[in-house]
Amino acid sequence: MSDKTQAIFTGDRCLSCTSCMANCPVMAAIKDYRGPKLVGPAHGRMHFSQEDVEATLEFCSNCKSCDRACPSGVAVSTLNMLKRAEFYKTHPHTQAEDMIAHGERAGKMVRKIPFGATFANIGMSIGKALNIFDKLGLAGERNMPAYASDPFKEFFPRIKQTAADKKVVLFTGCYINDNEPHVGEAFVKVMNANGYEVLIDKEFNCCGSPLVVTGYLDEAKQHADNNAARILEWKKKNIPVVTPCTSCSLMLKEEYHELFGEEKFHEAAQNVFDAFEFLEILQERGEFNDNLKPINQKFLYHVPCHLKSQAIGLPAANILEEAGAKVQTADAGCCGISGNYGFRKDKYEISMKIGAKLFERVKKKDFDKVISDCGTCRMQIHHGSGIKPCHPIEILAAAYG
Amino acid sequence: MEKATVVVIGGGATGLGILRDLSMRGVKALLVEKNDLVNGASSRYHGLLHSGGRYAVKDQEAARECIIENQIMRKIGKSCVEPCGGMFTRLDIDDESYEELWVKGCADSGIEATPITLDEAFKLEPRLSRKHVKSAYLVPDAAVDGFRMSWQLVDSSKRYGGQVKTYTEVIGFDTVSGELRGVKVRDHFTGEEYEIGCDIAVNAAGGWAGFVGKIAGVEIGVQPDKGTLIAFNQRIVNHVVNRLHKSSDGDIFVPHGSITILGTSSMSVPDPEDTSTSREEVESLLKIGEQTFEDLRDFRILRTFAGSRPLYIPPGGAVGRSASRGFAIVDHERDGLKGFFTIVGGKFTTYRLMAEKMCNQICAKLGNKTPCRTAEEPLVEEVPQADKDRAKKFFPSYGVNLAATRLGVERFKKVVERLEAEPESRELVCECENVTRAEVEEICKDDTSFIVNDVRRRTRIGMGTCQGNFCALRAAAIFSDLGVEPSAKNSLERLKEFLQGRWKGIRPVLLGRTLRETEMTRAIYELSMNVTGGEPQ
Repeated sequence: MSDKTQAIFTGDRCLSCTSCMANCPVMAAIKDYRGPKLVGPAHGRMHFSQEDVEATLEFCSNCKSCDRACPSGVAVSTLNMLKRAEFYKTHPHTQAEDMIAHGERAGKMVRKIPFGATFANIGMSIGKALNIFDKLGLAGERNMPAYASDPFKEFFPRIKQTAADKKVVLFTGCYINDNEPHVGEAFVKVMNANGYEVLIDKEFNCCGSPLVVTGYLDEAKQHADNNAARILEWKKKNIPVVTPCTSCSLMLKEEYHELFGEEKFHEAAQNVFDAFEFLEILQERGEFNDNLKPINQKFLYHVPCHLKSQAIGLPAANILEEAGAKVQTADAGCCGISGNYGFRKDKYEISMKIGAKLFERVKKKDFDKVISDCGTCRMQIHHGSGIKPCHPIEILAAAYG
Repeated sequence: MEKATVVVIGGGATGLGILRDLSMRGVKALLVEKNDLVNGASSRYHGLLHSGGRYAVKDQEAARECIIENQIMRKIGKSCVEPCGGMFTRLDIDDESYEELWVKGCADSGIEATPITLDEAFKLEPRLSRKHVKSAYLVPDAAVDGFRMSWQLVDSSKRYGGQVKTYTEVIGFDTVSGELRGVKVRDHFTGEEYEIGCDIAVNAAGGWAGFVGKIAGVEIGVQPDKGTLIAFNQRIVNHVVNRLHKSSDGDIFVPHGSITILGTSSMSVPDPEDTSTSREEVESLLKIGEQTFEDLRDFRILRTFAGSRPLYIPPGGAVGRSASRGFAIVDHERDGLKGFFTIVGGKFTTYRLMAEKMCNQICAKLGNKTPCRTAEEPLVEEVPQADKDRAKKFFPSYGVNLAATRLGVERFKKVVERLEAEPESRELVCECENVTRAEVEEICKDDTSFIVNDVRRRTRIGMGTCQGNFCALRAAAIFSDLGVEPSAKNSLERLKEFLQGRWKGIRPVLLGRTLRETEMTRAIYELSMNVTGGEPQ
């Protein structure tokens, strides 16, 4: 077979063992979902029989718990996303779906207006108060992520860096760029402390994750082509692409290939690293700068699903522990938000039900701070428990003083 | 004493075709079968409705019969034929001059063979070997489900008064001065022996025709010729894909519902009951198959199975692949047994024509002048679209059409009503083949379901990815609740029997993912229920 890791070829490996169903957080929250095995590989064998739509396909959040549970390497969730894209070929997207899939576009629009971020944030507060989001089909209970006054990419040239031979390119991702640029700033500080100069590539697009889960596969493919081409350019120069966003890194490293199956995605993936994965490599090589203030804090670490899917262990926990921190994993499963899933009005309750165990754990407050590498996980934890988490890179940056 | 004008012996395609034909002509006919329906070559085969392309060079008469019957079956068998179309592909290692002969043979036999470019061929069949395939043609092959067809023939016969007794074995013939009076049979389950009075008996026992002849004291030249096939877990092909060369082993792939069947081998065997398969046969089929599909070994094999073609061997005739696929009708009056006929040989695609010719002879004897109508009337009515639309609300997705063609109008209606009234009956018994509890329940309580395997053949439970791993227990439980036979209550035995049946086809392909699957089955049934497969034999 030309490529055995492409999702469509993995369905045949299913043994029907049901591990995916036993590990699906959505199934545990709502019994209407027929579950990953049936909707993915099992139905995949039956598609020949008639044109049809599996109504419960919409429940899949693409958290990828099924892929991780599968002992046979079936890319269950990606099979679901491919099928979802097919569904939207003949069904129009709602306005809400268009919105939550195109965060990058909205961000760019906001930046075109003077004081756009301020107005947009005020607009979102008013919108929430007037229940407009709810009427659009969004979860009215949530705050939409507020825009930072300056997006990271604008703000970046003003950061003072010492030029260095060793360089990395930061793939900011939409959330860090538009909403939490301080995470990007922390990343730059950490990399500088380790002797790396950070570069930015304005040609990068949104990784495409929100597009894929909302069924905009053609657009996602355009993003994938562009991003892979850029990554390969940097690869030629021996400059790695690093991102502190675990959903972005998973998309760049694995999902492009699972979805679209071209060799270039494999090649590009070799030049992409999660931020702490990169730091851990430095540590293994003895190149990690351990000249930092001892971190005498206790952290509760929510490990994002999309980090688990990368099978690289818990590099953030390891690095922080080396620096003296106490890190305990929350071990409470998926937070439930899964990218834009929990922002859908009709998925809000499911999302909160899935996250309930994690919220309970967080509310115990037997730690100094909650950390998590994923932006939407952090939003969900904040929303569900009232406690605001931060990215572990912020802790490390602070320790470098 | 039970009586019928004609007793048909053998519940394969030929026998059932005769039952239907006679019933439609108003002849009181009863069919006896020692096992379940289509237990022989009529289900242990490719499921290929030949266009005739396969015979276009060697036997143009057979080719012409095939294309005519193919068109008839497409018309009357909409609920069992999948008109997927066929493709003939010549590989670099195949004789180029054969291609010319074949093209001419198709034209002479009335088979439309449309040449296509390699680009088109790879577009239609993306998994074809780019390296080996050198030319390709489209032909009107199709897939036909032998199980489904058999039950539809029964349903059709029953409408005209035809009767069927499965698990009823012929043990003797009652004759008075060279004239047949009746057929003696034994009930497989109760052991009861009784006679069915008749004027005429037709031996349509396929591979077993020689044995039945022996009971009647006549000799019949039938050579069981075993063919082994492999069932793959998915549709590897969209069309029936044939090798364009002199007919040989392992050169046809048929998309058969959710699976793909590759076959066959050809081996003379003494006993038609021999449906054993071996690792060697599987290996040799794969070796040939991967010439057409290079990545064949990457696909999960579900199981292997074998059946025996009943080749008719006239005195001094050839055997094996060179034996004719034609058929013969013998009136044993010439052997001193008046009222006894044998029909033997032939192939699944032309079963209807064989039945017609047989029935013409019988009707001539009976003085019945009603013409054959089996080519005009559909086997079963199609389930109306309105019923299907209504059903969509309760059925699993991708399941309505398959269930509708499996069940037929009446049973489908009942199943939909059950699904509507009892939400819990919507759950799936078989998750791989998408079979609801309502459907399994409906078939379990049918008086033709004696063991769980009978339910399997009619619903496809246990025939998908997990090969009974998850449905065996569920099905045995439902069967013990609803099965009409007292033996149904012995659910543990029924469960074991069912699992053994699955195991038989898995053993020769116990490698890779199939081995993993089997280990899971073993773990579930051995550890949780102490079902171990019994003592080693």
